[in-house]
Amino acid sequence: MKQKIRTFIFDELIFVAEPDSFSDDADLLEAGLDSMGIMRLIMFIEEQFGVTLPDAEIDPDNVKSFNALEQWILGHQK
Amino acid sequence: MNIVSHFLQQCAKSPEKWAFVEAEQYISYQQFQARVAKIATYLQQQSAQGCCIAIALERGINAASCIYGILSAGAIYLPLDIKNPAPRLNFIINDAQPKYIIGLGTAPHWLKANEKWLDLTDILHTTADFHLSDVSASALAAILYTSGSTGTPKGVALSHSALLNFCHWAQQTFHIDATARLASLTPFHFDLSIFDLFTSLAAGASVYFIPAPLTLAPSRLSTWLSDQQITVWYTVPSILSFLALKGSLHDTPLPKLKQLLFAGEVFPSAQLITLTNLLPQTELYNLYGPTETNVCCYWRIERAQLTTTQNIPIGKPACQANLSINPETQELLVNSPSNFSGYWQAGKLHALQTSDYPTGDKVSRNAQGEYCYHGRLDRMLKCSGYRVEPAEIEHNINQLTGIAACAVVGIKDKTSGQRPVAAVVLKPGADLATSIKPLRQQLAAYMQPCQFITLANLPVLSNGKTDYQAIQSLFNKP
Repeated sequence: MKQKIRTFIFDELIFVAEPDSFSDDADLLEAGLDSMGIMRLIMFIEEQFGVTLPDAEIDPDNVKSFNALEQWILGHQK
Repeated sequence: MNIVSHFLQQCAKSPEKWAFVEAEQYISYQQFQARVAKIATYLQQQSAQGCCIAIALERGINAASCIYGILSAGAIYLPLDIKNPAPRLNFIINDAQPKYIIGLGTAPHWLKANEKWLDLTDILHTTADFHLSDVSASALAAILYTSGSTGTPKGVALSHSALLNFCHWAQQTFHIDATARLASLTPFHFDLSIFDLFTSLAAGASVYFIPAPLTLAPSRLSTWLSDQQITVWYTVPSILSFLALKGSLHDTPLPKLKQLLFAGEVFPSAQLITLTNLLPQTELYNLYGPTETNVCCYWRIERAQLTTTQNIPIGKPACQANLSINPETQELLVNSPSNFSGYWQAGKLHALQTSDYPTGDKVSRNAQGEYCYHGRLDRMLKCSGYRVEPAEIEHNINQLTGIAACAVVGIKDKTSGQRPVAAVVLKPGADLATSIKPLRQQLAAYMQPCQFITLANLPVLSNGKTDYQAIQSLFNKP
């Protein structure tokens, strides 16, 4: 799951010179993930993994890193 | 007339009223004036009238105090985007040659000209001996740096009379009075902030700064707008799209929100329709105009006219602007009392030779006589609401050691606006990842290309110029 999200973010949303050395805890917001990017990311995640991420939980804390995203999604997968 | 004078009149009328609210900090008109007076006095003692003063602070009460203090002293404010990379900030400081740079605490490590640094805390400990400096109508008030087509940022210089003309128009058109509560999100180096900073206090209204993390938490943003009983908000379509699609507006209706104004980029119609359905009581307005003209055209959203297949018009002239269309190129020309005075370069104003500002935007008029926008005549992009010249990105990429040539174009973002992408030609032996690594430190986040491709050569037209359309098509492949 994390790999799919990584590929989507690095191909479509933000550019980093060396995606492989971008750690799962590194700050995605600092790297340039903005409100439009988050919106596309959520649509991608919901479609790919069949989860519904509640609007009320969209928050910097849940999208700040790959690990945070994974925790957030796992909490909503049945 | 000094633009600050309207604020002083309101201050005399209702000194106890809140001027600005930032998180838990509430500051009244009187308290705000006391801070402004100290900053103005300090600058007057340093004979700063007519000088450019840079501000290195986040959007908020401190920065607003500096802006009003600088203007009260007859000086010109230059708000820096402190999130910019150090080379860009230092370029702007070298170009603008401000007399001082005001911030908080000691000079930041990125600043080369640290002898110009002033700590706001020290100034606020001084004693005020306030009088408002007289300024002529053409005196400059603000310098806002934007991306430049020559590869480096350029400073748009705006006069007191240009700002006053806009504020007067906005106050009349949107009926802003002392009962208004404005939400403010725009950084002060963006021209949208002129509304938040000046139309507000000239009308005796209160300004509520939106906490930055809320832009990434749309439901909390809706709740905040509701709790603060915001009545007016002027912002960019990208944040409104986010609010419309993910902001739980079904559960958090905003009946107090009377007006929503937006500008900066085209609002995708589908998202706009969603938003208008969720905000049945709110009047929405599409405002248009580059930084050089401020708002010169506006359209009140007619809900019945919205369709998903058509972009909304930019509407009718605003701010007493005279608009015309170049018959050959369809370019919109703007002659407005809110037009800028010229570009600020190498520490001084380069005044304009002509009163018609060519916007670079292609327009037409519809059957109702309203203006409609059809894109750029040049290569300028709109990324996250920021205006971005591909030439500025190319200028930075071309300076990297491993790069022989490059071309930057925009691809359409699926939600709103565009994103820059780059085609590069590497020098022999260089690899892409290593070559472009330094870009992260050189370009602001919204200027970072989101994709790179490498080519053996850049495609060229028969006249030898780079074929940007061909490059564009390489990125548009599925």
